[in-house]
Amino acid sequence: MKLSFSPKLSTFLKPSSVTNLHRSFCSSSISSPPPTSLKPQTPLFLKPPVHSAAFSDLQKWHDWAKSLASSVGSTFVDLDNGPDSTLLCREIKWLMEDAIEEESEGMENNQRSIRLRVALEELYMLWKQRVEERRPFQYVVGCEHWRELVLCVQEGVLIPRPETELIVDLVGDVVLGNEGLREGLWADLGTGSGAIAIGIGRILGTGGRVIATDLSPAAIEVAGFNVQRYGLQDVVELRQGSWLEPLKDMEGKLAGLVSNPPYIPSDDISGLQAEVGRHEPKVALDGGINGMDDLLHICKGAASMLKPGGFFAFETNGEKQCKHLVEYMENDAGGNFCNLKIVPDFAGIHRFVTGFHK
Amino acid sequence: MALAQSGWKLSYSNSWVRVVGVSRRSSGAAAKPAIFQASCPPPSPAIAVKIRRKCFINWRWTQQPPQLLEDKKSDASFFIRCSKYGSSIGAASNTNSGKGYLASTDQELMSQCQMDTFKASGPGGQHRNKRESAVRLKHLPTGLTAQAVEDRSQHMNRASALARLRALIALKVRNTVDLDAYSPPQELLQILPPKSTIRGSDCGPQIGPNNPKFILGMQALLDLIFAVEGSVSEAAKFLGLSTGALSRLILSNDSLRLAVNELRFSKGMKPLK
Repeated sequence: MKLSFSPKLSTFLKPSSVTNLHRSFCSSSISSPPPTSLKPQTPLFLKPPVHSAAFSDLQKWHDWAKSLASSVGSTFVDLDNGPDSTLLCREIKWLMEDAIEEESEGMENNQRSIRLRVALEELYMLWKQRVEERRPFQYVVGCEHWRELVLCVQEGVLIPRPETELIVDLVGDVVLGNEGLREGLWADLGTGSGAIAIGIGRILGTGGRVIATDLSPAAIEVAGFNVQRYGLQDVVELRQGSWLEPLKDMEGKLAGLVSNPPYIPSDDISGLQAEVGRHEPKVALDGGINGMDDLLHICKGAASMLKPGGFFAFETNGEKQCKHLVEYMENDAGGNFCNLKIVPDFAGIHRFVTGFHK
Repeated sequence: MALAQSGWKLSYSNSWVRVVGVSRRSSGAAAKPAIFQASCPPPSPAIAVKIRRKCFINWRWTQQPPQLLEDKKSDASFFIRCSKYGSSIGAASNTNSGKGYLASTDQELMSQCQMDTFKASGPGGQHRNKRESAVRLKHLPTGLTAQAVEDRSQHMNRASALARLRALIALKVRNTVDLDAYSPPQELLQILPPKSTIRGSDCGPQIGPNNPKFILGMQALLDLIFAVEGSVSEAAKFLGLSTGALSRLILSNDSLRLAVNELRFSKGMKPLK
């Protein structure tokens, strides 16, 4: 969705006094995010543009939003390695992309009405939540751009991380010369928004299938919405439940097992960047004392779930966990696995463990 | 360093390249990290990477993390990134590196790059929600950089940056051409208009300037034009085209036109318009 806003943004950069406007819009607004409901909320960019605002009013909002972002400076960075003003200003641009209907040329008239997907008052509320409550940008706009996809996300669902994008490439590599895997049954454990399941669902063969599991009903709903949006209802099946529990009927049949399970050590949760620690579901982040509870649990089950030659790829917290996992798979898992590899992410951090069932 | 004794030399303009994970197959020795102090000049327009060696060296790409991240001694220290894809470069003096890079897969090309804007501040992954989706790729063997900032997805920006890098490599990295025994490569024939007398009927339809495959042909075309020192009429003869037809082809792509005119300017020739 391209926004031809650039010529007018230069007018947005003129300072204007917006404090009065800000006060009158914000005093009566709801200031807390909507409660986690089971029904997936429509992301901003999919809402119909039934609202409108005068161009000059939108300009005032933009000025206010920018000055709020600029006032942050590097305070969040210093506090908890959060975003700085530059990043926040970039998010304002993206927020506008999602909230404003793409308009046509000829925008000189300041009185012209702009079509919005939310009321201008809500736009104030959304940005206020972003900065003052550190509500994640992705929850504010209701979506995350991940790989070539746009996935709906909301409170109660983990926001897919850029590191996890690589898992789809790892799967892509192994199915390339391997029809058994390409046309086989895969499982994405703890699917959250459905990111990995959808990502691999799009690259498997025509007979390839994915079962995505998650403990959280909210996640299952959101994942279902995303699966539908990408037309993968016949490829990706969602099953609610804990890890491999919903897959008991698939023992020995899986061609592949992938997961990005919670891997943060419990003690680290309180020190997390506020966007993460205060707003994303702890159940998707907390991996126990050394962060490895769920990883080990999945590894324990992997041997009986994968068919001979089956592939697995798990995301971890880093080098220590990767080494621990590999050691476990080599020694304790009954010698069922081979070709164990540790794969770094693009920052050079040892991020993934992959391997095959013998 | 042990490797220096093997008579192995890497000459790369005026700079050295820092290398991680090299093993010598001849001695059967296990992979030892070999580190050379690196300083890198600003990228120059045409760079040829020449690797000369006396004994065969099998480069093994390891999965060891680039510990060199901490080393701040060299100004522009870089390292050949780890890749899970085993790759061996048993290269002789390589004057066709430009073509080699473009023939690589995205993953291979990516593994030769350093992603500059990806700052690993902290553990990353689930710990972090800071979407710095802009990607800047520095192609280490050539020093060329390409970036993409438009998309909100890092993956998409990575793909765009890689595509731009390919175009840059085609424009800036030259392969040598033997004019005496010149036979235009297939990728060049494919971008020529059908009226070319050497094109042949089995070439398929003409690949236009917006097709990603145009880049390979563009590189080959520039190799030829550089070899004839910017003379479009000379190059046209090799391609079975009239001078006018070749001019039109060059003018059909802005970057190609700029590259050709830059060369012509340096030779005191008039630019194509």
